[in-house]
Amino acid sequence: MDVKAVDKVYVGNINVAARRARELLLGKLKLGDVIDWATTFSLWPVHLVTSCCGAEFAAAWSPRFDAEQYGALPWVAPRQTNFIIIEGTVTRKMACALRITYEQMPHPKFVIAMGACALDGGLFYNSYNVVRPWEVVPVDVYIPGCPPPPESLARAIVDLRRKIREKKLASRWLIEGWRHDRDPVKPADDVCKWWRP
Amino acid sequence: MKPEELLELLKHALGGLAKEVTVRKGYVEVLVDADSIVPVANKLKELGFDHVKSVTATDYPKESKIRVTYHVSSYLREDLAKPILGLSVDLPRDNPVMESLAGVWRSSEFQEREVYEFFGVTFRGHPDLRPLLLIPELAERRVLRKDFVVKEESIYEGVPHRYQ
Repeated sequence: MDVKAVDKVYVGNINVAARRARELLLGKLKLGDVIDWATTFSLWPVHLVTSCCGAEFAAAWSPRFDAEQYGALPWVAPRQTNFIIIEGTVTRKMACALRITYEQMPHPKFVIAMGACALDGGLFYNSYNVVRPWEVVPVDVYIPGCPPPPESLARAIVDLRRKIREKKLASRWLIEGWRHDRDPVKPADDVCKWWRP
Repeated sequence: MKPEELLELLKHALGGLAKEVTVRKGYVEVLVDADSIVPVANKLKELGFDHVKSVTATDYPKESKIRVTYHVSSYLREDLAKPILGLSVDLPRDNPVMESLAGVWRSSEFQEREVYEFFGVTFRGHPDLRPLLLIPELAERRVLRKDFVVKEESIYEGVPHRYQ
């Protein structure tokens, strides 16, 4: 068979046909834009309260600040969410839970790191038990503050929505199968090594 | 109950079991030998001290000892709960082993696990002696002892810090 013909749809290769259909539907037509638009209005964060920033997280979804107006609803199951907010310090043992939670989520998925501890250790700088979240998962938006107020969290969600719309993160992730604008983060040491028997 | 009254009560109740009973600034400390910790704990429980508020340890590298302290208190008798009562044991630093008090006071079970992972103190007869908060690699290094040195980090990556 001609080598070039492998890439044609009429050869009958199901993988090639699926990929070409995906490129046509999501890339050339406007369906990709629809996916980006839909993703920005349905960012559902998973509950992973690692530290005291969880109090501000709770306040952000209270009636006064009402982060649900951005289409973000905190949900309990990581397999039905596409968005994770790291709320504060990540210890060595919690890094394993964070990575497991992140890998359970279906892509496209996004990460917000909240608080000074999630940026660079913060109050627990120079500690033996603290890891930086960007060594474990790829982080999209950082929020400084100790703790950040609920308005900052709302601003971060708005920033993430604008980033998804401008860079077409969701649709290009679906088309290409990986995150095009950054390398996937792999933890330097096996964070869950102790967890397996 | 004043701390001095509690001191007299404890001296009367414990008798020769306690090595030293002192009071200072409202804090009553009962220092016992490692062998007689369980009888003393049973005596205190009969007096009305029904739970452990905290279990902690102090490292004395120069004297080569580790002092494990149980802060016990009472829910049922309010007069006993007013002063702070510490029940302390001195253990050798190279091989700190003592009897667990989880059989006497159930509330000390998790806190003994913390002392085990942070100081390396082994509790005999503990129902479930595993590291609680740390990963096992860190628990082996006994991170809260004085001779554990935390690796210092510089603010900017690659720039070594200057102060010592």
